[in-house]
Amino acid sequence: MAESKKMLRVEISRFDPDRDEVPKTQEYEIPVQDDWKVLDAINYIKDEVDPSISHRWSCRMAVCGSCGMMLNGEPKLTCKTPLSDYDETIKIEPLANFPIVRDLVVDMDGFMDKFRKVKPWIVRAKARAEDMEDLNEKGTFSQSPDQLATFKQFSMCINCLLCYAACPVIANEPEFIGPAAIALGHRYNLDSRDEGQAERNSIFRGEGTVFSCSFANECSEVCPKNVDPAAAVNQAKLAAVVDWAKGLVLPREGA
Amino acid sequence: MKHLLLKLEPIIWLLFGAGLSVGTMLLTGFVLVVGLAIPMGLVPSDALDYERAHALASNGFGRLVLLGLIALPLWKGAHHVRSLSVDFNGGDRDGAVGVLVYTAAALCSLIAIVAVVRL
Repeated sequence: MAESKKMLRVEISRFDPDRDEVPKTQEYEIPVQDDWKVLDAINYIKDEVDPSISHRWSCRMAVCGSCGMMLNGEPKLTCKTPLSDYDETIKIEPLANFPIVRDLVVDMDGFMDKFRKVKPWIVRAKARAEDMEDLNEKGTFSQSPDQLATFKQFSMCINCLLCYAACPVIANEPEFIGPAAIALGHRYNLDSRDEGQAERNSIFRGEGTVFSCSFANECSEVCPKNVDPAAAVNQAKLAAVVDWAKGLVLPREGA
Repeated sequence: MKHLLLKLEPIIWLLFGAGLSVGTMLLTGFVLVVGLAIPMGLVPSDALDYERAHALASNGFGRLVLLGLIALPLWKGAHHVRSLSVDFNGGDRDGAVGVLVYTAAALCSLIAIVAVVRL
């Protein structure tokens, strides 16, 4: 294999929680190949230059969502971003708005807690035995292609957290539940099999959820899967408002 | 105060959303006609002379449109100012700022209702 002579300066943010107060930058000068993604450069440094670097990655095909990092200040999936987008220098940092565990690895625990809050599963209001009667002969709930199409886009999220790193509201207000979690809650609200809309809508009217969003649209700009979380958040706002207005004039079911 | 704002958030957001639509679409068209098209002679100047404009504005539908044009963008503005305040000062004073701007918007909306009714 012909080795390319092209050299690239890579600045990687280093942070060791045992020794460092704040992250510091370490520079590497490495030979790169034209067809490399940014992740290939980081892996080259890890394998050939400095094995002490910590970073997360797995699938290399933009489905696992582990390799999100800040590239020259912008949140990107490193496996999806061609190195040819950068000449001479690239600065690689851990995702913004998250606590750093080490080097390029961030702590996702806070996100996972937010995630569970929106009840990201199919909620059925009926009692189990009664519910079973709605199953089709295959033992599943039937859904038409049209019904699938209403939420499919919002189900494509890979939890890469780029939207959290891009969101100006998260930066100001870390307790904001955030784009991906709201998009996921909205995805279940749109699902024809789901009956948990009232529960999620009342969650969405709580503090630090949909109405904290100022619709800067940055989440949708950086989303590598074109989920368009900003659309989901703003549709969820309207749904939460309509649900609230209905609650004023109609008695709640079961209430 | 934050708690009160949170309870009112759906209605505030609805007024804000309506103001955003009205502000960007209708108001732009209004400014284009009154601010540019008439002065430039693209629309005859007597198309909106006092009697005609008054007749247009003072029927029931006209009053409603006029109220929307005046009051809704106030809520849009108030909400923007509150968001801006959060961006610059963080959430600490959000309750006080929110109450202040929305009270102002509510008072001005009230004045607008009186003005439109008495038109």
